[in-house]
Amino acid sequence: MSDFVFATAQYESGDWDSAPLLPANIIDTIARYTSIDVAPTGVIVPLSSPALFRYPLVYLTGHLPVRFTSGERDNLRAYAERGGLLFVDDHNHDVDGTFHKTATEELTRVYGALHPVPNTHPLYRTFFHFDDGPPTTSHELNGWGDNLVHKTLSGVERQGRLTLLYSNKDYSSEWNYHPDNKRFLSVDNTKFAVNLVVYALTR
Amino acid sequence: MLLLAVALWRAIREQPAGAETRRARASALARTLDDATRGDRIGALDVAVDAMPSPVERDWLAALRRAGVAVRWSGAVPTLALTAERVREPAAPLRLLLAADTGAVSLSDSAGTLDTLRASAGGVMLEAPEVVGAVRARQGSFAATAAPPSPTDRRAVLVLGRASWESRFVLAALSEAGWEVRARLPAAPGVAVTDPGLLPIDTARYDAVVLLDSTAADLAPAIARFVAAGGGVVAAGSATTLETLRAVVPARAGVRRPGRILLDGDSTTRADLPLRPLTSLRADAIALERQSAGIAAAARRAGSGRALSVGYDESWRWRMLGGASGPAAHRAWWSRTVGLVASDRDVARHDGSGDAAPTAALVSTLGPPAPPAARATTGDGDPLPLALLIALAVALLAEIASRRFRGAR
Repeated sequence: MSDFVFATAQYESGDWDSAPLLPANIIDTIARYTSIDVAPTGVIVPLSSPALFRYPLVYLTGHLPVRFTSGERDNLRAYAERGGLLFVDDHNHDVDGTFHKTATEELTRVYGALHPVPNTHPLYRTFFHFDDGPPTTSHELNGWGDNLVHKTLSGVERQGRLTLLYSNKDYSSEWNYHPDNKRFLSVDNTKFAVNLVVYALTR
Repeated sequence: MLLLAVALWRAIREQPAGAETRRARASALARTLDDATRGDRIGALDVAVDAMPSPVERDWLAALRRAGVAVRWSGAVPTLALTAERVREPAAPLRLLLAADTGAVSLSDSAGTLDTLRASAGGVMLEAPEVVGAVRARQGSFAATAAPPSPTDRRAVLVLGRASWESRFVLAALSEAGWEVRARLPAAPGVAVTDPGLLPIDTARYDAVVLLDSTAADLAPAIARFVAAGGGVVAAGSATTLETLRAVVPARAGVRRPGRILLDGDSTTRADLPLRPLTSLRADAIALERQSAGIAAAARRAGSGRALSVGYDESWRWRMLGGASGPAAHRAWWSRTVGLVASDRDVARHDGSGDAAPTAALVSTLGPPAPPAARATTGDGDPLPLALLIALAVALLAEIASRRFRGAR
């Protein structure tokens, strides 16, 4: 069995599958840069399912309002207590958008208050070095969303480890392309995903 | 007449030293011991053990015996022995091991009662977070006392494995249990997530090394030296097959057997984990855990250190899929496993305050129990002279009477 399986969270409300090409692209990136034994295909895991606990790193995204069911909330609480890391990305990259407002509200109910993750966090040095914190995406200033460059990510730590990482940088758009198209990029814009996965696997 | 004279002389002569047999109860022994030591009339001492003599009293009795006093003891003394040792983990709880008969045994420290236990199969174990002063096990009027060793600071644990969920959750388990953990986790050729100041691997810096796979091959010679010098190693999976560690590890992991982790279950236990049953168990190794598929954990002493092989694969699933108690159980198991091999740094107390195995010490010092003498005697405890005197006196009187009755003059 592979050490790492990329898992996308499926939740009852909203459009959880808004970045369908992202998993394959990140799997390609992990295989390209690391020796991590990564499964060639990702999985979709319902947030309310016990299967969630099989995947200690889960990616969640969407554009639409998020309302977790009680089963999803309970599962996420247990997931955090056991050491799972949930990576949530605002596909709208809009701090005034419905996803951000509802998702952060829901996440706060489960995890407690979110705090900025300092740009000196080990997350930014664990494989590649991102001295300025989270890499800027080409979508943050594309005229949609809040048109801001978000300087930091947010998150919640337990016992010195991230259990929730929240992004308004719209990595869901930035990484949502077929991996073959990486060859057209002068700088691979998915490198930060390597840090995210390596951090989850080592910290 | 000659015999009568001898017997008379022996009967009336001055009493020799230690001529008296004294009986005493162990609960009030001090006066008798003092008399036997200072006086010169006690030749034998029968001690009825109704309470455990103190170590000083046992030694005193042994000294009297060596000085010529016939010391015997009798009584129904229960089996009682108590050991207090520190669990080699950061919290360093106290493990109390009690050997006792089937009756209830009360455990207490200087602050009060800890618990009341009943031994099964001759023994029982209790873990206490901390105790005040010495620990006493009491059964009726008999007691054993153990002085716990002082806790000492533990060194770090070094975890070596590839970037994987197993590495991540073993790190989490050990650090949550209070261990200072350092790690080297390769994520790509030439790239590893490494804590600074990792090397050298020696007993001054580390209590134990945990090898989760074969990525530590380059450090295996250093680890073998570390174990020989008193360090501990836990080897799991392919780490057990490293050639350099072959002389150290107690067994090698075999072919992987799939676990019984259910898709929709949240009740995984250690027995459900994938297992690589341990094979090639060395003659001096001890199997610590068995599952239906085979041996899951084994340990041995290696040089001055300890080595432990683990056959469980992907123990992280136990934590994530083991229900609400999964994280605590996973954490406790890994901490205990590392503690089994961690360097023994506890400082035992040798201040003489303990009396850990009084029954054994009593038998060792004074021999097995013996029935007391029938009655007090004189003449070195030998009843013959007095009896002989009486017999001869009776014979003489009979002779005189006979002569009188016969009219003889």
